[in-house]
Amino acid sequence: MKPDDIANAITQALIQGGSQWLISTLVAFLPALWTMTLMMHLGRPYVIRTLRRCGLRLGADIWWMSYLLIRDALMLITFAVSWIFFLPNVVSSAALPLTGPLAALLLLLALAVKLSRRVDDDIQAYRLSTIFLVLGATLYYGAQVFAVEATSQSYLAGFGAFFTSNSNVPVALGIMWVSLAGVVIVALWLFVRVWVSATRSMSRRLASEQEPAKREPMPAAR
Amino acid sequence: MSVQDLTNAIISGINAGGEQFLEGTLAAALPVIWLVLIGLHVGRPYILDMIDRFTLRLGADLLWLVYIALRDFLMISGVVMSFMFFFPDVVVTDALPLTGGLAAAVLFAVLLVKLMGDPDRNLRDFRLVTILLAIGAALYFIPYLLGVQANLPFSSAMVTNTNPNWAVAMSYISIALLAIFGAIAAIYAIRTGGRAEVPDTTTTNS
Repeated sequence: MKPDDIANAITQALIQGGSQWLISTLVAFLPALWTMTLMMHLGRPYVIRTLRRCGLRLGADIWWMSYLLIRDALMLITFAVSWIFFLPNVVSSAALPLTGPLAALLLLLALAVKLSRRVDDDIQAYRLSTIFLVLGATLYYGAQVFAVEATSQSYLAGFGAFFTSNSNVPVALGIMWVSLAGVVIVALWLFVRVWVSATRSMSRRLASEQEPAKREPMPAAR
Repeated sequence: MSVQDLTNAIISGINAGGEQFLEGTLAAALPVIWLVLIGLHVGRPYILDMIDRFTLRLGADLLWLVYIALRDFLMISGVVMSFMFFFPDVVVTDALPLTGGLAAAVLFAVLLVKLMGDPDRNLRDFRLVTILLAIGAALYFIPYLLGVQANLPFSSAMVTNTNPNWAVAMSYISIALLAIFGAIAAIYAIRTGGRAEVPDTTTTNS
């Protein structure tokens, strides 16, 4: 083997290995992101209890704003990282949880509930988004813990082979395409909703701006 | 050895090495997180004493909020970073404290008490949280110090990759505990609808 061959081998290995490592790192961080998302969402009663004890409005506002930012940003980041489950080549080559795309779809549904209803004021909306999140997390954790991360356990071999994407490619791709269709539908619905809502609110504002200003009444005597 | 063989060997080296480095870093950070969160929990009287000295209400509020945010964030981070204890493949491969998963489940129980109770006001809840934290720290630090970081006659029994059968069993027990606690938290959140107290369902509309 010549030095050029070795250099090429190392270059290719760094590119391919780096790409695989990036994917596996993202997948490895997803349980952490899912857990943080769930904890922040379920911890709302505790956060409100703490909020009520703030003596000043400023402290309460800072506390509530930080909570909302972290909670919702975590949900968004978890969904963004879960996008890896919608890449057909990655699904068929890497060991990913089979139900990962469904979990991502349920996470998007929880986000859609937040975007379309006032989850922080409406108990039913909060319950609905909680149910979506818990179902999504269960679908993700089950396959991740007992299939992808349990290859060393021979008695889980059947379960592992079924619920790991690269050892059950046809089913994995089927679930991925169905979930992707669901994501597209939800995204389209959100897009239309934002479009209609923005058009309504902005046209109302424009109409009020274009309306001629009422003349000041002239005093009868100066 | 062909060029492709060399490429494949380097790829598997990068992946395996990267994964173990990541898990090793998490494992190394966990004792620090445990120590700091216990320090913050135990330091509660000191913080309360300092709050009383503030002449401005704003400073007192901010100190208290920063304190509880840091304390609770570290607890959440502790549970999240302990997730590797719930993966059978990881516990069989890496040298981790045998009861680390149970420690994570106990830490989650602390968060559950904070969610359903009121440890900052209620003495019974505060004592419960303190006892749970002490149990969790013991479950983490005893096998970590005497097993992972020592070469005593019984050390191998306290490390996951030298006692894989027990390690996997502990992992399953921890997963079961976490699933039960998680289900309780989810049911509580659904019942309360995210509010601070459970709404009174016995009240009739007049």
